[in-house]
Parts: sequence; C-alpha cells; structure tokens
Amino acid sequence: MVLPAAVFTAALFLLPVGILLSEGFKVGGEWTLAGYADFFSKPLNRTVFFRTLKLGLLVALVSAIVGYASAFCIVNLEPKQRGRIFGLVILPLMISPVARTYAWIVILGRTGIVNDAIVGLGLSDTPIRFLFTETAVFLGLLQLFMPLMIISLISSMENLPKDVIPAARVLGASWLQVFTRVILPLTREGLVLGGTLVFTGALTAYITPAILGGSKVLMLETLLYQKVNVSNDFVSAGIIATILIVMCFGANVVLRRIAKA
Amino acid sequence: MSDTAVSLQNLTLAYGETVAVPSLNLDIHKGELVALLGPSGCGKTTTMRAIAGLMTPRSGTIMIDGVDVTKVSANKRGVGLVFQSYALFPHLSGFENVAFGLRLKRTPAAVITQKVEAGLELVGLSHLAERMPAELSGGQQQRLSLARSLVMEPKVLLLDEPLSNLDARLRLEMRTELQTLQRQTGITMVFVTHDQAEALALADRIVLMKDGVIEQTGTPEDLYNRPNTVFAADFVGFENIFKVSGNTASNSMVIASDTGELNLNYRSDASHLAWRPEGVIIGSGPHAGVVAGVAFAGNKREYVITTDAGKIRADVDASESAVQIGETVSFELPESSARPLREAL
Amino acid sequence: MGKTWASRLIIFTTLLFLIGPFFIIIFAGLSAGSSLSFPPQGLSLKWYLAVFEVESFRQSFTLSMFLAVCGTLCALIIGVPAAYAICRYKIPGAETIKLIVAAPIIVPGIIVGLALLRYLVVPLNFTVTLALFLAHTALVLPYAVRVVSASLENLRTDIEEAAVLLGCTRLQAFSKVVLPNIRSGILAAFILGFVTSFNQVPVSLFLSGPGVRTLPIDMLDYMEITYDPSVAALSALLAFLSMGIVFIAEKTLGFSRYV
Repeated sequence: MVLPAAVFTAALFLLPVGILLSEGFKVGGEWTLAGYADFFSKPLNRTVFFRTLKLGLLVALVSAIVGYASAFCIVNLEPKQRGRIFGLVILPLMISPVARTYAWIVILGRTGIVNDAIVGLGLSDTPIRFLFTETAVFLGLLQLFMPLMIISLISSMENLPKDVIPAARVLGASWLQVFTRVILPLTREGLVLGGTLVFTGALTAYITPAILGGSKVLMLETLLYQKVNVSNDFVSAGIIATILIVMCFGANVVLRRIAKA
Repeated sequence: MSDTAVSLQNLTLAYGETVAVPSLNLDIHKGELVALLGPSGCGKTTTMRAIAGLMTPRSGTIMIDGVDVTKVSANKRGVGLVFQSYALFPHLSGFENVAFGLRLKRTPAAVITQKVEAGLELVGLSHLAERMPAELSGGQQQRLSLARSLVMEPKVLLLDEPLSNLDARLRLEMRTELQTLQRQTGITMVFVTHDQAEALALADRIVLMKDGVIEQTGTPEDLYNRPNTVFAADFVGFENIFKVSGNTASNSMVIASDTGELNLNYRSDASHLAWRPEGVIIGSGPHAGVVAGVAFAGNKREYVITTDAGKIRADVDASESAVQIGETVSFELPESSARPLREAL
Repeated sequence: MGKTWASRLIIFTTLLFLIGPFFIIIFAGLSAGSSLSFPPQGLSLKWYLAVFEVESFRQSFTLSMFLAVCGTLCALIIGVPAAYAICRYKIPGAETIKLIVAAPIIVPGIIVGLALLRYLVVPLNFTVTLALFLAHTALVLPYAVRVVSASLENLRTDIEEAAVLLGCTRLQAFSKVVLPNIRSGILAAFILGFVTSFNQVPVSLFLSGPGVRTLPIDMLDYMEITYDPSVAALSALLAFLSMGIVFIAEKTLGFSRYV
C-alpha cells in the first residue's frame, strides 16, 4: 500500500534531484570537486552564500525573540481568545507568499507608506531606497516565516507542566531568570523545531529575495535561478542545490543534537 | 517583633469582574499550623496565592513578619509554596530542584550542597537526589517539593491541598510527617484543604471559609464540637440539621424539615439544631421511625431512619443487637447532644 | 493590570506585523489612480474589476485551480493508503519510507522544479502541464500523508476488528468504518494541500512555459512589467479566497490543529 507513494516520490523526485546534485561534481565529464573550488573562488558567489547564511540566522534569531514574547502572551490568554489569536497567527501561512511579499513593495517602495512618512515629516528631502536592500529582504522573510516559530513555541509552552512558572517565582526567580532557567530549557524542543523551520524556510525562499532583493540582493535561490536562466550554468546550479540541501539537512541535524543535549 | 507571621487586612481579591474574596481579615501566628478549609471555589486557594504574591489584591494589605508586602513581587517575598501539582522542574534532578532557589540567591556552592543535603535528609530523600522528578513516585515528588521550599527557610510555608494527590495510606503517613516537620522546624505553615478530616487531624487552628468569607475559626476541637452555623455544622459532620420552626408551649418546640415536623420537649432560641449521628439515641425515646437502611461499620451500626421530619442518621454501638430494615424503632434527639446553630453569619 | 496591557501590546504588535500588510494591499488595490501607492489616490473598485479582464490571469488561474484540485486529489489517492499502512502495519523500513515521502518538503522547491525540467520534461518529452501536475502531486503528498496519519493515530483500531467480526471484509471495514471516521482529516489534508499547491512558486518556476503558467508565476511576471495596482487587487482577492477557505475549514473542522 505504501509502494505507490514511495515509488512515485522516488521516481519523480529523488532520482531527478539526485542527478541534478551530481552535476556539481562533474566538470567536463569528470568527477571532481573543481566546480566547488571554482564556485567559491568568485567573490559574488561567496557574498551570496554568506548573505544567505546571515539572513537565515538573523530571521531565525529575531523570530525566536519575538516568538517567545508573543507565544508567552498568547498562551496566557483565556482559551477562547487564545484560539482566535492562534487562528490569526496561522492565517498568513495560508495566504500566497506572492501576496504577502507584494505588500512590502507598497510599504517600502519609493512612494510607499514609510517614504511618504519620512518625506512628509521632513526627515529627508528625497525618498530613501528600501527596496532591493537586505533590510527589505529581512523584513519580508521575517513576516513570512515567523508564524512557524510562534506556532511551535505555543505548542511547547502549552505543554509546560502546571505551575512551574509560579513555583520558580516563589523560589525567588526574576522574570528573566524564570525565562532562562525554566521556560527556555523546557521549550527547547519547540524552539529547535521552529528554528529549523524558519531557518530552512528563509534559506530556500525564492519569492521574497526575488521581489524585495532583485538582482542587487541575491540569495542562493535567486542566484541559482540566474545561473540557469541567464547563463545556462548547470554545474553552478548543481553546486548551489547541493549547498542548499546540505545547509537544510545540516541545520536539521545540528539543531536536533542541541535539542537532545 | 510581634508574634504575627502573616496578617491579612481587608484583603479583597478578584479575577477581572468576579470578586473571589471580599475583604478578608486574618492573623496567623508564628509557628502556627493553620488550615484554610472550605469547599472548592470558596477562595482558599486564591487567598494563598495572594499571600505568595502570585496575584495582586484589588485592595487591602498583606503583612508578613510585620512588614507590608502587598506590593512586593512573588520572587522577593520569602514565602514558600508547595503546589498541589508539586510543580517540580522536570528538566532538573532532585538535587537541582532543591538547589534552584539557593542558586538564584548566589549562595556559595559548598553552602548549597550542605543545605540541599540537609533538606533532602529532612524529607528522607537523600538516596534519590540524582533521580529526575519523573522517576519519583507521587509521595517522593511531594517530599521533594517540600524540601525545595524548606531549604529557602521561608517566613511562612504555604501548602496547596498537600495530601490530595496521594493514596489513602500515603496520606496518613504524610500527615504525620508534616506535623513532625513542623514541630522540628517551628515553621509557620498554612495549608489549604477541602477535606475536613485532614484539617482536623493536622491543624492547630482551622479557618473555615465559604464564598470568600471566613465562616468560623477555631481549634479542631472547637470546630468539631461547636460549629456556629448551618454551613460549619454540615462541613464537620453534623448530619442531622433541622430548622426550629417555633416554640409551642412553655417547655416544648417544633423542629421541621421539608417533609414534616417533630415535637421536642425542650426549648431553644437557636434558629437551627443539629445532632451528630452518634448523638441520636435509638431503642428508647418519645419518637418513632422506620428503619430504612442499616450498614455495619465495624465498631458501630449506621442507621437511616425515616421519621415525621424526614430521614435521620444515627450511629449505634455494634455490641447492641441490630434492628432490621422495615422495623419500627423509638428514638430520641436529646437536648444534651443538640448543637444550636445560626442560619448564616 | 500593567502586565495585561504589556501582553496585549506585544500580541497586537506581532499581529500588526504579520497581518497588517494585507490591509495595506487591500487598500492599495482600491486606488483610483494608475500607480501603486498607499494611502490610495481616491477610492475605486476598478482595479479589482480589471483583474478579471486580464486574459493571462484567467488562464493561469484555471491552470492553478486544476493543479491544486487534481494534484491534491491524486496525492490523497496514493497518500491515504500509504498513511494507513504506515500507521496500522509494522512494515519493515517504515521510517525510510516516511523519509522518502517527506523529502519534497525538505528539499527546496526550486531544485525540484529544475531537476524535473532537466531530467523528465526535456529527455522524456513530457508536456509542461503534465510535469507541473506530477510536481504538484509530489509536493502535496507529504502533507496528505502527515495529516491523514495524524487522524488515523487518533482512531481506535478495535473498531475495525469489530467490523470484521460483524462480517466485513478488510476492504469493507476500511471503507465503511475507517474512512468515515477520518473524513475530517482527509478534508483538512485536502485544504492544506490545495492551499500549498495553489500558492506554490519555486517548483513551478522552471516548469512554466509559454502560455502554461501558474497564477503566482504569472503575477510575478506581471509585476516586473507594470507598476499598477492590479497585482495588489489580485493579491487581495487571493488572500480573501484563502481566508475564506481557512475560515470555513476552521469553523467546520477545527482546521488549525491539523496545520
């Protein structure tokens, strides 16, 4: 009974992806790592690689900080209200990322709200460029993936044993100590799960860097698209694909280790 | 220094719009073991949480050791609280659970070790220090939670339904242990319970609460023998409670229930009269009833008798011969065992 | 009381960041002017109506609908038996199979799309539509398996045994007893799959050809050429569509526990 599903996925999915990845190790028909050496010798590629890593980590980190604050507040609401707010948190996940990202053009564009405010308040004579900056990509990614973090933190906070927080308070813990010594260790799994989802999501997002970063702020995904569509460079495409997959799996493995330690 | 450990003055506690406790006044003396007794929803747990600083009073004052702590947050009050769920930290070992509060105070490591070991010793858990809470039985978790609070040397130790999650045998054991512990350490203890037997057995003084108001306070003997209100009498086991509907002649009166009345040959000015089952005399007396049920309980027989004033519960020494169901018996509600009550406060 | 206020403020700010942008899109689409701005220059519904006039939007919407509905149905047809087998029988290598089936979620979509284009469409002469259909099915399959598994886990196994003892064949027991009981799980899987497929971009990116484009890809392309509010209007409409579906699903199924 599982066979159709497994065969379907393997044939349509694992096999072609496997071949694609192998392309990065072949230059001129020979198995070699030369492609990788060549790839990383180019400053642009290096910049894009580190930018992707940096943005992924940053989005995960900020999601975690904001996520903890809001998850904690949401969990402490009355059940009825909590359900409603929870619904609002997951709502964005159901809406087209194109629509979600497009909103940022309206907000950050030359004639967008932020620039209208800046010019209107006389903070600057000319509109400031926000689009096609790392900030714009960061904001877009954060908005796109933060719900995943909040959801997984909420579910692990709901599983906190009863009364451990007041117990810590009565034993003399400040709110910061309650967080670091009780909440954090007890919600580590939720944090790791959320962190993995957000980090890999940010690494592999295409729409956000494409719309908000353009060719000025390339990330690995948009770089891959360029390599294929502009320069037909399938060696680089295979390499980028491999890097992305390794980073995603790496994040999975490393974070799972941390969760269990 | 006064000898008052905790003083609650006009304390009003509310959840949003719902007032749980309107204007409570209570003094708890040093070294006292006080039970807050009452049915669920009577405000006893709320009161305890307020003493611990886990909820902010709407108005009123909480003094601990003569200092106003109403505005002091929970982590700076120096109050110990043993939660009903024990609230042990599942990610920390037994030792680390007990050390938790001491570490926050930046106590030197050697002192921590020494205090934690002493604390575990006190509750008989020394050999299980390295176990995680999940690997301990209910009774052991309870003790661990107790040790965790005790090592902080709190000015007062609060316990929320300390025996309710234990089985019957452990409950008896723990009762004795809590008493011993309190005598040994001389610590002021306040515990919350809905179980009158627990309160009677354990406490120096019982505070009986109903709807956020203190119904009666007193020693266990006081409360057991001399409840003042219908609620208090009902709560401490006066099973036969009747309304006095009027004094008829110079030396008689009528007690009534929903179903009927009985004439008694003495007078009372109380609004209600109550008898414990063991205070009712069976086999002789001016009244007659039909035995509706009888249960053998070792040293006694417990009868239910249908009378003109409804069902009456009576306990009779088991050495006396049994009366069968359906037989008519004579009985008496003697003046000597009648407890006069008020309807309410 | 101060604590309540702080907590409300935190929730409000977070939600504002997460949901606020949609309101902006909705209003930006209401503009009477011809370029994108907020607040809109005058109010009119013209851009909302204009969306329906664009031929390519109509075509790509139809394609996206087709992919989302048929791809998800197909994923359920092969996914439900797989979920059932994984949950009920101790098959050797169940973990491996789970991993294989889950792979399309883990591997970035753009890579899947490129691989399919290069090694299936080009050499095997698949049409772009077929490739898209297969890709969307593979993409939705993990969700179908996961959500259906979750609701199977919550179903007692003894009711099937009872059905068999009462004279059902194994297949009848499945169709008459199991299926009706996991109906809401399957429905939730369908909705989740539909939304995922409909909103999917990276997989379709390489697989779209001339005249065969999914709606999100079409929107991306349209955005590059023009700067008028029609994309905002379309985005808002799509957002309303998703919200409507999710709202109904939440009311009827308690959808959020399946996500």
